[in-house]
Amino acid sequence: MKRRQLLQTLAATPALLPAQQTNPSPDENVVLAVVSPESAGLAVRRFFTPEQFATLQTLADLIAPSIDGRPGAKDAEAAVFLDFLLAKSPRDRQVLYQRGLDTLNRTARTRHQKAFAELAPTEANALLVPLKVKWTYAAPTEPVAAFLRAAKVDIIRATTNSRAVAEANIAGRRRATGLNPYWQVIE
Amino acid sequence: MPTFNHDVVIIGSGASGGMAAYILAQAGVKCLMLEAGPMIDFNRHRSMKAVYDLPFRGFGEPGRFPHITQASEFDANLWIDEKKNPYSHPESDPYYWVRIRLLGGKTLRWGRAAWRLSDYEFKGKDHDGWGENWPLTLADLAPFYDRVEPLFRVSGRNEGWPQLPDGKLLADDSTESLSMDRFLASAKKLGVPTTKPRRATGTLASSVNLLLPAAQATGNLTIVPNAIVREIGVDPKTGLVNAVHYIDRRSKREYTVPAKTLLLGASTLESTRLLLNSRSRQYPTGLANSSGVLGHYLFDQFYVKNTVTAIVPEARGGKGPRNLMGGAGYVPRFTNLKPGKPKKNYLRGWAWDFGSGGTPAPELFPQWGDELARTMADVQGAGFSMTTMGESLPRFEHKLTIHPTLRDEWGIPAPHIEQRYTDNEHNMAKDAMETGVALCEGAGFEVLAAHSQMVPPGESIHELGTCRMGADATKSVLNSFNQAHGVKNLFVLDGSAFPSGGVQNPTLTILALTVRASEYLLAQKKQGKL
Repeated sequence: MKRRQLLQTLAATPALLPAQQTNPSPDENVVLAVVSPESAGLAVRRFFTPEQFATLQTLADLIAPSIDGRPGAKDAEAAVFLDFLLAKSPRDRQVLYQRGLDTLNRTARTRHQKAFAELAPTEANALLVPLKVKWTYAAPTEPVAAFLRAAKVDIIRATTNSRAVAEANIAGRRRATGLNPYWQVIE
Repeated sequence: MPTFNHDVVIIGSGASGGMAAYILAQAGVKCLMLEAGPMIDFNRHRSMKAVYDLPFRGFGEPGRFPHITQASEFDANLWIDEKKNPYSHPESDPYYWVRIRLLGGKTLRWGRAAWRLSDYEFKGKDHDGWGENWPLTLADLAPFYDRVEPLFRVSGRNEGWPQLPDGKLLADDSTESLSMDRFLASAKKLGVPTTKPRRATGTLASSVNLLLPAAQATGNLTIVPNAIVREIGVDPKTGLVNAVHYIDRRSKREYTVPAKTLLLGASTLESTRLLLNSRSRQYPTGLANSSGVLGHYLFDQFYVKNTVTAIVPEARGGKGPRNLMGGAGYVPRFTNLKPGKPKKNYLRGWAWDFGSGGTPAPELFPQWGDELARTMADVQGAGFSMTTMGESLPRFEHKLTIHPTLRDEWGIPAPHIEQRYTDNEHNMAKDAMETGVALCEGAGFEVLAAHSQMVPPGESIHELGTCRMGADATKSVLNSFNQAHGVKNLFVLDGSAFPSGGVQNPTLTILALTVRASEYLLAQKKQGKL
């Protein structure tokens, strides 16, 4: 049932609508197919500097890569989405990301004389070792470790909840996820 | 022109307001119900959506709910607007006040767990010397629990334990999965009791489908949504309630309605806020506050979410028999049950909800990339988790007061809330974590993570007290029938009436107390005393 509903949602694009055979009655109440703004245009980035954004994109691809043909963070445009989300987030969250990305980049330049985005995967992965610390309820006190922990959760979520992953699940005949009852504004 | 022919005014439409209407309307009493929020229409207001089609991909709008961690982007519009309905707390002691303002109140979202309180709660002071006894016993309330449980179709298993009284339940005789069997055997070995979950069945089990339709069918219930009560009026001659002043949520126009008898069920903190905001010459510190304890003795049940997360090794990689995973259970309080000095480094005790078959969160694994993806595939459906619910002790200094300047969108003075967890709760949470780890290890599970960090006070949505009942009118606000000492036509029915709360989810007790109070009210009316 859920899978069928998701398929219907995915299929609801104007291009797929059958040609109108007859003019509708002027009294008829019709429902037109529409798509979300995210599906129609390229998102404008607002928050991160170009260097921070490049670092985030690389980090996202390391944390949630495409595996066995399943979409990863790049396919899900997770970094672009997080740029939007962080622009609207509380200041302490913004600072956590900005400082974390800047530190990753600075460390990359110090160790390898290259930006984080230009590192080979083995070099970049070596900078993510704070993620190897055993989980504790309290966030790490070290700023980069705290940033990496937060970014890991956000990147995975932004990827999992993307249209790209939903379409891949449908195409792969896997169980549809992410379809839930949505409550409108109640006035 | 409205005609005022109602016998009672009911404020609130959740568990207590809904149940009061259910009892009284069917007994022929004309009820006028004032609900602060709008009417909810499940067909019109709810539709299926994919998470990627939400504006924030399921993250929710940042900063929209600083205190409501339960709100998702799917149901964000069900929860109260915190900007329009502000409150304050000490900066060092965050309080998470979780509210729903809709017809049906929080019964639209309750977890449906439905446990009876026991005489360990009703007579807690007799047992260990702390706090106050309730002015009633289990024997007084049992006949009312007996009536509420069938109405809410509560399922579970009776065990004959004094700390978890038996009920009129739909028998849950379901077989356990193999992983649950192992956990139950480990618990038994360590002397920890376990039982089936006990909860109202159905996907909603709310005031709006189980209580209000029957009340309205009598023709004796008039429901007024969008009516935010600002103040309760008092007759200066008698000191009794004589009116309710409310504001239309949308237009902000003010209205007054006469009240011969008032039943207050606006939720724990809203009811007390309203009483404190209803000051008059007779009641300069708030209506029904002759004792001076109105607003005090706020408490709740602390939660440690996922205090233990474990993996059932045989379920890794989707291997193992089909009946290996699945199922849920409950551990009732089992510490300090013998009278006198506690054996532990804390008073009273905690309970657990536990469940088999989930997938542990990715952040629990110290990995990323390919390695993490393969781990997540490996542990899919192989998780086992436990959540702790512990008793927090009512203390005078934990309280709701009215903020001197802060107002809500409708100009009504907002509350200031002070509650913090003390060593008693912290020691309990630590003991619960250590015992939980021992139980999981005894079952052969791999413990992935364990912690004893409680969520902030209020987040369990089991806030209780501040308008407590008691036998002594100098130390309590209500008598044993939820009737205000000294203001006989005022009844306060929600969780604010609790003098203590144990570890059991409170809604079933709120419902049973409301049935009892409503029938007392009927008897009083019949005798001409109201």
